[in-house]
Amino acid sequence: MDLIEFFGNHTFRMVFFGTMLIGIVAGALGSFAYLRKQSLISDVVAHSALPGALMAFLIAVTVFEANGRNMLGLIVGAVATGTLSALFANAISARTKIPIDTAMAISLTVFFGAGMILLRIIANGVFPGKGGIDDYLFGNASVITIADLTTSAAVGALALALMLVFWKEFTLRTFDPTLSTMLGFRARIIDTLMFTTIVIAIVIGVKAVGVVLMIAFVVTPPAAARQWTSTLPGMVALSGVFGGIGSGVGAYLSIVTGNIPTGPVIVLTLFAIFLVSLLASPRRSVITTALRRARAREDLRRELLNEMADR
Amino acid sequence: MVPIACQTRNLSVAYRADPVLRRVNFSVPVGSVMGIVGPNGAGKSTLIKAMLGLVTPLTGASEFFGKPLDQVRRRVGYMSQSTSVDWDFPTTVLDLVTMGTYGELGWIRRPGKAERDRAMAALEQTGIPDLADRQIGELSGGQRQRAFLARTLVQAPDLYFMDEPFQGIDAKSQQAMIDVLKDLTAQGKTIVIVHHHLATVRDYCDHVTLINVGVVASGPAEETFTKENIRTAYEVRSGAEAFLETAV
Repeated sequence: MDLIEFFGNHTFRMVFFGTMLIGIVAGALGSFAYLRKQSLISDVVAHSALPGALMAFLIAVTVFEANGRNMLGLIVGAVATGTLSALFANAISARTKIPIDTAMAISLTVFFGAGMILLRIIANGVFPGKGGIDDYLFGNASVITIADLTTSAAVGALALALMLVFWKEFTLRTFDPTLSTMLGFRARIIDTLMFTTIVIAIVIGVKAVGVVLMIAFVVTPPAAARQWTSTLPGMVALSGVFGGIGSGVGAYLSIVTGNIPTGPVIVLTLFAIFLVSLLASPRRSVITTALRRARAREDLRRELLNEMADR
Repeated sequence: MVPIACQTRNLSVAYRADPVLRRVNFSVPVGSVMGIVGPNGAGKSTLIKAMLGLVTPLTGASEFFGKPLDQVRRRVGYMSQSTSVDWDFPTTVLDLVTMGTYGELGWIRRPGKAERDRAMAALEQTGIPDLADRQIGELSGGQRQRAFLARTLVQAPDLYFMDEPFQGIDAKSQQAMIDVLKDLTAQGKTIVIVHHHLATVRDYCDHVTLINVGVVASGPAEETFTKENIRTAYEVRSGAEAFLETAV
């Protein structure tokens, strides 16, 4: 399939630009999650978005008799349970001796389990538009509508704008929380703003990518970008670019190769970018680093042997 | 009477239900260099953090120039231990030092040329202007401390809190930092410094607070930094007496 044919198809266009948008937003905002070492808690949020998205569906179709797949409703529900799960994990580890990774695993599984039960309840009941609701697990990029795209773009732009406006505060709090507090910035305000942007980055992908794999969009691009850049603006920009390119290429590949789901192909594309970054980046490549260290060790050994011979 | 730069009253801190600091009272006269001295685990760092509200005290309060910290934040600077941050963070030395200006900028406003110029001047003061564009991860231990000191200098406070500034640094960095400290005292600034190396306490500090959970003694060094008090603070047993002879 040539490119003209590809972009001439409405569904293909939606898949391509929809996933690309998700990749850019998640990649750029994921940089702060990476630097704050919050990759795992981001996965807790992603998995725990499931019950919220499903509850939003149930409320929409039963109470408002509206479209259950409404993107805004989905985002609100996903943000609600995603946030709740992160707070729950933090509350457990703050009040008990249970380590944070255990608390996160407990929180993730209980919210995700609740989501699976809701999925079954919806599957067994009579609800309009319930067909394909289990796409929330692994995503289905081909069902993205223009309305979904514009809503995602607006919410994503809002999150990016928050990041740009509070850039200085985000940077300071991420690098040195103590100094941030000393200089009079309320930690709770910055953390809430920052967490909001990260949660948005996660939940806008629920429909197209699904809750299970979405974390890859948030953590892989920053990890790759860190290999090439030495400034935070550079890292955020490159991470967004990697996310966008990886998603675009992955979406294209998934369509031209036929029946392969988009999300997993994008995840593999992002991983390929990550792998190349690990091996080939000029300053942080695992290969050159290992060679440099081996050479330095050898030099040192020779120097010591010479010293011993001189005696 | 010399005015007081800061004082704490009945400051206590507990980790869970174990006391780390017990009813600490002391004050720091304006223009002095106050050493906080005590054995490992005596609560030296915790004392500074609790005074600055970075650790929540169980009892007591601290005042700075007669006021609570929130009213005089701009006049108080804190140089934490350099191990408290991740040095792999993607940023340059100049950007790190510029962070010291963020407090006066307040919310949202970005640092501009004026702020970066001041950061550069602070780097010159600590003797590492040539490292301005370097990645912070490439700095040695001593250079890290000097970058941290520069960041504190940029805030231009009247009262400095420093947590182990001489920890793990080379002789050259140490000398550069001592020169800066002398400059500061010459300008009438007040310095509170956590220091654990007994032999050099008198070189840097004209006042000493000896602590071990509670205050053993606090005041001018010649009155407080005595063998008797040190022995009490360090609960020295007879074997260590010989070391004390050489240390003081």
